[in-house]
Amino acid sequence: MAEPSISLKSLVERFGPHPAYTPPGGWQDESRNPAERLVKTHCCFCGQQCGIQLKVRGNQVIGFEPWEEFPFNHGMLCPKGVKRYMQGGHPDRLLDPLMRAPQGFRVSSWDEALDFTTRRLREIQEKHGKDSVAIYGGASLISEKSYLLGKFARVALGTRHIDYNGRLCMVSAAAAYKLAFGVDRSPFPWSDIPKAQVVLVAGANVAECAPITTDYLWRCRDAGGKLIIVDPRMTPICRNADIYLPVRPGTDLALYMGLLHVILRDGLEHRDFISAYTSGFEEVAESARAWDPRTVAEKTGVPPESIERTARLFAKAERAIVLHSRGVEHQSKGVENCSALINLCLATGNIGREGAGCAMITGQGNGQGGREHGQKCDQLPGQRSISDPEARAHMAKVWGIAPDEIPQAGYSAVEIMEAIHRGEIKALLSACFNPLVSLPDAKFTKEALEKLEFFGVVDFFLSETAHHADVVLAGSLQEEEEGTGCTAEGRVIHIQKAVDPPGNAKGDSWIYCELAKRLGKGKYFPYASTKEIYDELREASRGGHADYFGITYEKIDEKMGVFWPCPSLDHPGTPRLFEDGRSFHLDGKHHFVVTEWRDSGDPVSSEFPIYLTTGRVVSQYLSGTQTRRIGGLLEQYPNPRLEIHPRLAAQYEIKDGDWVAVATRRSEITLQAMVVKTIRPDTVFIPYHWPGGRSANRLTHRTLDPRSKIPEYKVSACQLRLADGPPDWALSSPEHPFEPRKAKPDARLRILR
Amino acid sequence: MHGYEFYVDPSRCIGCQSCVKACEECDTHRGTSMVNFDFIDRGGTTASAAYVCWHCEEPTCAMACPTDAIKKGDDGIVQSSLKPRCIGCSNCVLACPFGIPKIFPEYEQMMKCDMCYDRTSVGKRPMCATVCPSQALSYVRPEEIAGRREKPTNVFQFGNQKIVTRVHMMVPAETDSVSLDVLDYMWEESYVAFAQPQ
Amino acid sequence: MSLLRSPSKEPLWKDEFSVFTSDERYVTRRQFTKFLTLASLGMFVGNLWILVKAYFTRTPSLPSVVVAEVGEIPVRGVKLFTYPTPQDHCILIRTGEEEYVAFSQKCTHLSCAVYFSAKEERLECPCHQGFFSVKDGSVLQGPPPRPLPRITLERDGARLLAVGVS
Repeated sequence: MAEPSISLKSLVERFGPHPAYTPPGGWQDESRNPAERLVKTHCCFCGQQCGIQLKVRGNQVIGFEPWEEFPFNHGMLCPKGVKRYMQGGHPDRLLDPLMRAPQGFRVSSWDEALDFTTRRLREIQEKHGKDSVAIYGGASLISEKSYLLGKFARVALGTRHIDYNGRLCMVSAAAAYKLAFGVDRSPFPWSDIPKAQVVLVAGANVAECAPITTDYLWRCRDAGGKLIIVDPRMTPICRNADIYLPVRPGTDLALYMGLLHVILRDGLEHRDFISAYTSGFEEVAESARAWDPRTVAEKTGVPPESIERTARLFAKAERAIVLHSRGVEHQSKGVENCSALINLCLATGNIGREGAGCAMITGQGNGQGGREHGQKCDQLPGQRSISDPEARAHMAKVWGIAPDEIPQAGYSAVEIMEAIHRGEIKALLSACFNPLVSLPDAKFTKEALEKLEFFGVVDFFLSETAHHADVVLAGSLQEEEEGTGCTAEGRVIHIQKAVDPPGNAKGDSWIYCELAKRLGKGKYFPYASTKEIYDELREASRGGHADYFGITYEKIDEKMGVFWPCPSLDHPGTPRLFEDGRSFHLDGKHHFVVTEWRDSGDPVSSEFPIYLTTGRVVSQYLSGTQTRRIGGLLEQYPNPRLEIHPRLAAQYEIKDGDWVAVATRRSEITLQAMVVKTIRPDTVFIPYHWPGGRSANRLTHRTLDPRSKIPEYKVSACQLRLADGPPDWALSSPEHPFEPRKAKPDARLRILR
Repeated sequence: MHGYEFYVDPSRCIGCQSCVKACEECDTHRGTSMVNFDFIDRGGTTASAAYVCWHCEEPTCAMACPTDAIKKGDDGIVQSSLKPRCIGCSNCVLACPFGIPKIFPEYEQMMKCDMCYDRTSVGKRPMCATVCPSQALSYVRPEEIAGRREKPTNVFQFGNQKIVTRVHMMVPAETDSVSLDVLDYMWEESYVAFAQPQ
Repeated sequence: MSLLRSPSKEPLWKDEFSVFTSDERYVTRRQFTKFLTLASLGMFVGNLWILVKAYFTRTPSLPSVVVAEVGEIPVRGVKLFTYPTPQDHCILIRTGEEEYVAFSQKCTHLSCAVYFSAKEERLECPCHQGFFSVKDGSVLQGPPPRPLPRITLERDGARLLAVGVS
């Protein structure tokens, strides 16, 4: 649609984010009105999916209690998990559907909002074709809803353009693992990590992005394990690293090729394993020939001795594990980086047994489940490919339609936004996604959104992207619908419904079923509950790699989660993959994948001489729509800071706390500097959880990995300049800086004298 | 809780402040966190440390309190000051060698970690140690700590004062007490305050 | 107060205001009031108990002791004996052929030993001229406030037994 009808300041005043500091009713409320029950469920945030219990009174979540029996986290939680319950009863919660109006948004009825949505979608499809409508989904949705969205796009709308925010997360790893193993999942459960002798953590800020994994790594060290960290920044996990490799942003591939080079040069590879279980080794060995430690050192900035040491330590270990995350995957060589890491494990025989393997640390809550059941532009449920005729036939049968009615592959998330920008896609229906904050090149995203003829959003808070919507359908929080998710380990877990959606908000699944009904496809969406969707999902995923057929809610509760594939009801699940030495490829072998060097899409130059990398902080989650509304989390880290090394800061006469303008080829923002020695002197870092003038994604670029289509968030080129003073957002603009509240006593606290 | 001990290992702390957030969720001092969290030197390192009250066997804060407001129970937990008695004089704040007690001017009271008394007195584990994702704060049986490379100690030497605490600090295996005074490492048996003039 | 303390190296104030709740001797008003209430209650119950017990209990019987043979003493003769314990001195008087009376010898005034005056036919106390009737021990004259306790006699064949004190 066009720009929002009222100013940003007014929208923020009305809809937030307003930080909530206390539980609903105040801190003392629980002692007066105690909780009635505890609901055992999982955190709504990251892919660790820690077990947690929610305290519920009436229809409100009022607190939390650790769930010590859940085997993954044993009651441990990060601060986001501790405070997540404050989303319940939040003043910014959307309680009714909203329609765009001159005063911003007006409350409307469900009938009006749903009818309007379907009318507009139908009109646009009739005028411009089925593919002029796109669907955005998200990886925080339970698998039932991911499945539902995939079916909705293909069966109800008949569009090929559906993708999700996991495109910005797991797709590089997904592509690389599918190439190597034929399946996309962590090959081992987290309980294997303490059994490894060496753990190589590449591009993963474990302490801040997957905090519970820290305990696994520390226990590995307790048992004598060694820890190797690869990161341009010294993140908290480096406290106890045995080797730290400060790789230059974008040059990871050279480093891993270098490690492979040393291993092969010194004959440390596992010849028997390679010949028995793998294929394609010779080409990869040939490609590693050019990457001697000296060449690698020049490319990456890592000393040759460190490379030698790391390679020897890794190869000589009997059991070694590689963990990697967005640091290596958010690059235009994201797939190559993951392939190179997998190659290292294959070359040293580290796969398919206890304490050994290569795994991605899935970042988003249901990043694993959300990338298995058809929410991706090229995927069908069960991790099937949309272009595979057998898969299409199976799905068509499950859905009750003809195979050729299923569209072919469509555009990925960033490509959808680009198609909107050039006018090819006219309508967008989005859930669980805040692209204005999370897609690269935010200015481009804003321009695209303003061109949409129809934009509908399903969400529970009004996100920055939703400011541009024509209709906002008030949806549900994670604790308001029952379903399943799949954790970073590959463990399918049960999300319990704790409360009903408040006010007139509805469950997301109800909303999509209603839309489908009004589009005339109601008979394909007859679900009365998410459980019915799940039963169909089981049927749909049956026979695929991500086989959920044998997993039921009861089985999950009984066994504290079930690892897929689980093909039948009496199958116990598969915690560790490839134990029989076979991959999921037809030939049963693990494939070495050749990787070729490319430069990054936004190379440094004399005008933009400094590397810019982006990432996260422990107190915020993704685009901050939820966590920027929780006061305690905001207090921990209120506004993004520019991390800069003292040596680099000295060149620009920047001191800690100074306002610095950071500019890339796209745009410029001004932030306060944080002068720290824990980052490479040629690199600066900005966390991306904030919108507008504080958004790191105003600076990033839209170069995608050609195979995975993931944006290259981690490598941009920028220039720095001491700003004249605080920027608009720090002064009087709606995105005012967050003032840590002064501690005020609760007036209701009765003090005995 | 019977059989469980509290262990603090600052070298495992990752600075997530989960402990700080969870502490204010308990029932005794709801809304205010009592965990002492610190970035040691953020400009130079990401190292951080989180501390709780050490619940000393002979609590210096209690002994320095002029109104007998700080009590240590039979279970070994040193409680926050008793509200009817505390006058907010800050004696305890100055006396504690670990710097744990804090005065809250709006309540005119000293409050500090009481090891989640509402939880530990009924057999639950304290909030901070339960949620800590790196187990820098842990509340476990001694057998579980035995697997770590570091060893627990609960003896501290502050100059002339030897302090034995209920909460254990994880230290390198050969260390048997934590001494923060050069004197404890010197060879001379008696300390000569000034060099005698020639 | 200090006299009641067990020996301790600590100064008094440290013991009095101990930081350990188990050593605390400070008593709150509430605790004290509770204590008073409970003690009163306890005493009331105790008294009730005594009352009930007394109601249902007979007075214990005293032993019977042989005092003299019949005819051992002449008419208007006297024999001294002790009854019920060796400390209780008593006097037996044969007032007629077949009539015997016995009384405690302790004057009820100041416990002097009374004697029988055959001439006056009464029991007399030499200390302060207190006179008792030989028939029932009542006070005839003088400072004694109460009559002499009478020893109940029983005749068992040829023996005279003292069986009680009235």
